[in-house]
Amino acid sequence: MIRKKAIEACLNNIGNSPIIAANGFISRDLFNVKDKKTNFYMIGSMGLASSIGLGIAIKKPKKRIFVFDGDGNILMNLGSLATIGKIGPNNLIHLVFDNSIHESTGGQPTGSDIIPIEKIANACNYQHVFKTSTEKGISKILNKIKKYSGPILILIKIEKDSSIGKRISKTPKNIKEEFIKNL
Amino acid sequence: MFDFLTHKGIENFVGVPDSTLKEFISHGIKYKKIIIATREEEAVGIAAGMLLANSPTIVFMQNAGFANSLSTITSLIQLYKFPIIFLIGWRGFQKNDAPEHKKIGQIQPKLLKDIGLQTRIINKDNWKKNSLWAINKMRDGNSCALVIPREFID
Repeated sequence: MIRKKAIEACLNNIGNSPIIAANGFISRDLFNVKDKKTNFYMIGSMGLASSIGLGIAIKKPKKRIFVFDGDGNILMNLGSLATIGKIGPNNLIHLVFDNSIHESTGGQPTGSDIIPIEKIANACNYQHVFKTSTEKGISKILNKIKKYSGPILILIKIEKDSSIGKRISKTPKNIKEEFIKNL
Repeated sequence: MFDFLTHKGIENFVGVPDSTLKEFISHGIKYKKIIIATREEEAVGIAAGMLLANSPTIVFMQNAGFANSLSTITSLIQLYKFPIIFLIGWRGFQKNDAPEHKKIGQIQPKLLKDIGLQTRIINKDNWKKNSLWAINKMRDGNSCALVIPREFID
């Protein structure tokens, strides 16, 4: 399963919920699969999608907030898992698209094939942790967690993809303003 | 100062502890308004999330941590125009401060100037006036910094 397929499977199950998408190909793929006003696309500041998601989750406790993250992104900001676990927002769902490479910068290894990110999340006090590598698995987990309290991490193993999605055509200021207005 | 900022509408204080700001932070912890992050960039990210939820936020840190978060400030805060107030403790302000603070303390004013973050240096006489200046910057949609020089060595 490539990232685009995994993202499609996720979107079929999470409706119109706000999504914070990590920089690089994750944001681009989300933009190209289904753009909506409650998507916050990160353009720079790698590693911070989960931190931004945490900030929103704290202030909007009645809304489920989804973070679309990558393995390289998480490893760059591992402290975020500890802070999320410490604060424990029950409305934060952290999805990690894990291909074990920095695909956006040319496919260099991240090391997530050796280091199990789901175990780190578990140790950091995430309430539920899941792992899957199929579209069916994604649907099943996302249905199941509708009744679960977070923080929840879902590690989605994906394959390398040689296609490069179009860049996001909105300006950063527009992305931000649309998101605030529609949150 | 903490109470003053809260009274003026600041709802969250996110950051990494600094000894120059320890009383400020302890006071905030008592009122459960402080979130301690593991690194400064992380604090800036959490603050950006809070601003996406329309909740005015201050990020506090030491100047060494400000240097850590330069790229986040330029590629997140300035790029997306998040109105954040940075409260920065300035180590290395005094020439006899600990050795690790000397270089970064010396270039601190230039770093702020180079990335174009408007700044006021505060002390016990001007903090109220400069806090109001920062609040107004924030209300106009701009980020800015309040810098507190550490004038004591312990």
